[in-house]
Order: sequence, then structure tokens, then C-alpha cells
Amino acid sequence: MSQLTFILWILNVIVDTSGQLAFKAAATNSAEFSGMAHWRHMLARHWFWIGIGLYVIEFVLWLAFLSLVPLSVAVMLGSFNIVVIMIAGRLWFKESLTKWRLIGILLIALGTVVVGFG
Amino acid sequence: MKRFYILGFLSLIFFDTLAQVSFKYASIHAEPLAMDVAWLVRVFGHPWIYGAFVGYIGAFFTWMTLMKHAPIGPAFAASYLELISVTLVSVWLFNDTLTIPKVIGGLLIVAGILCLARQESPEKKGATWQPNLDESA
Repeated sequence: MSQLTFILWILNVIVDTSGQLAFKAAATNSAEFSGMAHWRHMLARHWFWIGIGLYVIEFVLWLAFLSLVPLSVAVMLGSFNIVVIMIAGRLWFKESLTKWRLIGILLIALGTVVVGFG
Repeated sequence: MKRFYILGFLSLIFFDTLAQVSFKYASIHAEPLAMDVAWLVRVFGHPWIYGAFVGYIGAFFTWMTLMKHAPIGPAFAASYLELISVTLVSVWLFNDTLTIPKVIGGLLIVAGILCLARQESPEKKGATWQPNLDESA
């Protein structure tokens, strides 16, 4: 993996995780509303638009990443996002990391390392 | 109902795979990579990038439809198992090679996803897991 590839990969992980967290924040802030009211409330949250902005950035970053690595490697390395998002969910939203989640996270992390450095 | 799930998961995987393949074609056509406007113009001036939009939108609506009926665990796993279809399609369309590290790493990742799906499986109301429909997962 070249230095640029590595940087693009890390940026992808950071931007994707931040985007997911922003959407989660927008969704939970509006959880007391239902149906269309829920959507209207979410659309009025600044978190929602931060999430959209981050996804636009990620779209470009992912394209750049794909110009440097084969598609099959890219999707495998992309799975690392799951690991970071689960840890971030634990830190910010107090989601539980149960035994199966931990095993899953470890397997995915190990898998990405094997692909990335293999 | 069973047919509904199978068709739903197949369309989810189809749309995800379409998005990734389109992304890859778009990036190939936009080469060489440069962090400038000219590169973005090359990306968006080519039809493939719109295939990626179609894939995203299709996957989003398929996911929302599935979510109304399917248990979250298997649905979550299916949304990430595009990994397998994308890898196979890359071998076919882009001549990617299946090296030993890729096969081993890929299998470890799939095993990990299945563990997470198992965790999400119990029919709990209001499960907190958010589907990740973006390309990089």
C-alpha cells in the first residue's frame, strides 16, 4: 500500500464514521416524533446536513481510493469502517459491545490487516 | 414471504454491486487521479458515475422495504455481504486476482460480519443498529 493509498483509506474511515455518527445524532434527536414529523424534524437538525456533507466528501474520497486499488481489495479494506463505527457507537451512544460483537469486530479487523498487508 | 426475502436480499446485493462496479469504472475513466477540478469533471462527465447513483438509490429503497419485514440481523449481514459478490465480479470484469491473503482476509471479514449479524438477530424491538448503505462497507 502506498502512502497516498493509506492516507485515502484512513480519511475514508474517518469521514464515513463521522457521517454515520451525525446521522445517528440526527435520528435519535428526533426519535420522539413519528412518520412524516420524524422526517421533518430530522431535516431541520444541523446534524443531518453535516452528515450529508460528509457523505458528499466521502463519495469523492472513495472514487480517489478506487483509482489506486483494485475493487476487490477496496471493498475488503472498506469493511474496517464497521469496526470503527461500532467502537464510536460505544463511546458516543453507549451502545453495548457484547461478546459476539467483540468477536465480529476482531475478525473484521484481522481480516482487513491480512488483506491490507498481504 | 420467503420469496420476498430472497428477492429482497438479491436486489440489495445487486444494487450494491452495481454501485461499486460503476464507481470503479468511473474512476478508471477519470484517470489519472488528481485532486483538482479537471479530475472531478472527468468523473462526472462519464455515464458510469450515474450508475453508482442508481445503485445507491436502488439499494436505499430496497433496504427500507426489507426493513419493514425482515429481521435486522440477516438484513445487516446481507447488506455487507456485497463483499463476496463485488470480489467475484471484480475477478470477472477487472481481472483482479484472488491471492491467498485476499481469500483468507475476505473469509475472516465475512466470519466477522456473520458474528455481528448473529448478535443483531434476537427479535428485539427498537434495535439501535443503523444500516450502513454506503459504498465503503
